[in-house]
Formats: sequence, C-alpha cells, structure tokens
Amino acid sequence: MGWLTKDFETAPCEVEVSHCFDSLHAHVKFLNGAVINPGDEVQVQGPPVMAPYGEVVREQRIARISRASKLEQLWTRMTGDFEFMELCEFSFSDEITPEPVPGRAPATHKEGLPA
Amino acid sequence: MKDLTHSADAATVEEALAADNHQGVVDSEGATALAMQNTLLTPRFYTTDFDEMDAIDVSGVREDWDKLIDQMKSDPNKGHFKKNEDWDQIDWDGMEPKLKAEFIDFLVSSCTAEFSGCVLYKEMKRRGNNEDIVTLFQLMARDEARHAGFINDALREAGISVNLGFLTQKKKYTYFRPKFIYYATYLSEKIGYARYITIYRHLEANPEHRFHPIFKWFREWCNDEFSHGEAFALLMKTDPKLTSGVNVLWIKFFLTAVYATMYVRDHQRPAFHKALGVDPDWYAHEVFTKTSTISKQVFPITLDIDHPRWQKGLEALQRANVDLADAKKTGNVFKRLSASTRAAIAFVGLFTIPAVKHQVPASTRLEPAY
Repeated sequence: MGWLTKDFETAPCEVEVSHCFDSLHAHVKFLNGAVINPGDEVQVQGPPVMAPYGEVVREQRIARISRASKLEQLWTRMTGDFEFMELCEFSFSDEITPEPVPGRAPATHKEGLPA
Repeated sequence: MKDLTHSADAATVEEALAADNHQGVVDSEGATALAMQNTLLTPRFYTTDFDEMDAIDVSGVREDWDKLIDQMKSDPNKGHFKKNEDWDQIDWDGMEPKLKAEFIDFLVSSCTAEFSGCVLYKEMKRRGNNEDIVTLFQLMARDEARHAGFINDALREAGISVNLGFLTQKKKYTYFRPKFIYYATYLSEKIGYARYITIYRHLEANPEHRFHPIFKWFREWCNDEFSHGEAFALLMKTDPKLTSGVNVLWIKFFLTAVYATMYVRDHQRPAFHKALGVDPDWYAHEVFTKTSTISKQVFPITLDIDHPRWQKGLEALQRANVDLADAKKTGNVFKRLSASTRAAIAFVGLFTIPAVKHQVPASTRLEPAY
C-alpha cells in the first residue's frame, strides 16, 4: 500500500440479504478472511442481490476490494467519526425522489451530517 | 375481524398480488415494480479499532451486565412486532400529500437508521473476539433488523419498496473510534427511546391524532432502544477515562450535535408534527429533558437546555439551515457560504453554553420509566 496509490484485490464472499418481516438486513462475509480497513471500498460483483419480500437469499459472489492509500486511510481515520449522526433516526437525508419506472436507477436515500 | 386482505400481510408474492389492496394491478412482477416506488437504502459501512474493543473487560459491572444480556436473550419483544387487529388500515391515497411525503420520509429515515445500526453491530459481532461484546452486538443487530423489517412493512403498505441492492454498489468503509461508537450509539439509542415514548404518551392522551397504527407499537419498540443504551452505559462504565478529562468535551460535543440535529430536522417536517398535534419546540424540549435525565446515569454533564442562549441558538441554526438548503437548490454560492458560516457560528454558540455538572451514581442501571 503506497501513500498515494490504491491497490485492488478480489475476495470470495457470501452475501446474505433478508427481506422478511422479522428481519431486514444485508451482509457480506469474506470467505478468505480478508480484512477491511478504513477508507477501503468494497463492491460485490455481478447483478444486485435481490430478495423478494418474505425471503432470505444467500449467494456466493466475488467482491472487489480497493485498498485505500495510506493518506486516504489516515484521512478516513481522522474524519470518519463525524459521520455518526446517521445512526440517529432523525438524521439528515437528501430529498427522496422515488422513481416509479422499473429499469431506471432507484432513488437513493443518503444519510449524513448536516452540511 | 378483518374482511379485506392486504398485501402487507401476505407471505408470498402471489398472495400479495391477490390481496384486495392490489386490485387493478395485473399479475406480472413488472406491474408490482411499477406500482411500487423504489427507495434504495444506502447505509454507511464502518470499521473501528477491533483490538481496542476486544480489550474491554466487563468484570467490574459483571452482575448488571449478565442481567441485561439475559434479559435481551430472553427476547421479551419477540412476537411484539407482528401486526394484529390494532393495525388499522390506512387510506394512503387519501392522505394529504405533504403529510404523506413527510411521514414517508420519517419512516425511511427511521428504517435507514435501524438498518445502519444493524450493519454496524453486525460488523462488530463479526470481527470481535471478546465473547461478552460479540454476544451484545449480535443481540442488538437482531433487534435493529427486526425494527427495520417492521418499518419496511409499513412502507410497503404505502407503496414504497425498500431496495437492498446496495451491496453491488461501491461502498466505502468509514472509521469510528470505539469511544465515539459508545457516545454516539448510546445517545442515539437513548434519544430514540425519549422520542418514541414522548410520541406514544402524547398519542395515548390524544388518540385522535394517531394517524397511523405504527405509533401504537412505539412503547415496546423504544424499550429495545432503552436496553441497547443501557448496554453502552455499562460499557462506558468499564473505563472511567471514557467519561472524564478531555472526553467530557467530546461528550458535550456529541450531546450538542445530536440535540441540535434533532431540532433542525424535526422542524423540516411541519405537516407531520401538525398531524400528530405536536409543537416541535415543545417536543424537542421534552425529549431533551428526558434524554438529559437518563444520560446522568453515565455522563458527568448535561446541557443547560434552559439557558437563555439555548433556544435562540437552536432557532438561529434552524434558520441558517433553511437558507442553506435554499442556496443549494438555487446554486447561489454566496448565500451558501453565508448560511454555512451562520450555522457554524450558531453551533459554536450552543456548544459554548456552560454545561451542568453533576455526580454520576455508582450504580448505572435504569429501567424505562416514562
């Protein structure tokens, strides 16, 4: 890992998405013991893992991990703490503008600190 | 007695499509997708210093700790988050559009917060090695996922489908120092309790304002939040350094940031509060009072919310925030800069109000009392 350069690697992972009344959750577990550090980015490859309502879907996939540069890691360590507000139910969000048309990008609901 | 079936009660897609509220929707999945608005949840992902978390030793609070964990394991709220005959049908189409938009925003924010909590706790559980800590986080992840599922269900009734496809998008892992996790999650759980119970009690006294059945579930719901907060209080109790010295300033910062954010955010939902028959200023003061009283269990200070500068500061922050949102919309850079500066000044003004100091009791544990 360089001060300014990013490294990439892939890791096998298991994705679990539960879209049930009892539990709404989505998790990724790395199967090769890969460890994520501050500032790293993870993207599960392939089409979105979608669970229909009432179902739990588990799939083995490959995740692409892009390792943060040292500088980015340091920056994330210093500033990450201030993103805590999204744990509060009244946290700020961008205006939701839902897209009712299938096939188009869904509306996102992003949380974060007040600007 | 319920004569009409509803898609929200369905166990399968077929059942949902056959439900009475889906009249007019034809039988393909595409039609369901068309009828549902799609909201992608985008929780943040966290890392922390897992070695530091593993080093926590709860033996100093063992008795209280075991009691709390046993209580959480017994899962008193299992089965509570089921819809029964108290779940009245809601005429979403007839709801005033502004109220509907604000209420949906409230539900989506709540769902995202529960979901983010679940992601955070699950990560702690997965990467920790300390048995006590791992058990706690597993139990809390269970509750948060359950709450998220319950809200999701209410959203589905409103025709909003929550999209969990975010894992295949690039997501960056941010970093929280363990102590900030304790302060932030402790406060978010306790203020969550105070918010839910205040609304619940208000609607108990004024049932004509209960415009959605989900509010009837708030009491048991917030008891989960309360226990989670208790666990963090005990965690902070294991290391006196966490609540003394320079950390007291951090505690003050977190208290100020959380209270101020709540105030500003609630004032963005006027129709929602009007429908509940709640004055957001009264509500804020109620919630702050309850949260402060509770947080005395572990924090050596509380904010002086009756100080003359407090309410004025909140109002200034709120005005600055309205202007900031407006400037962002219109792309006016100068207005944006001036509004941001005013918001920062207002925040510093709130932060510098002298805090109220007090003695923290030897025994930490509390029970929900409101």
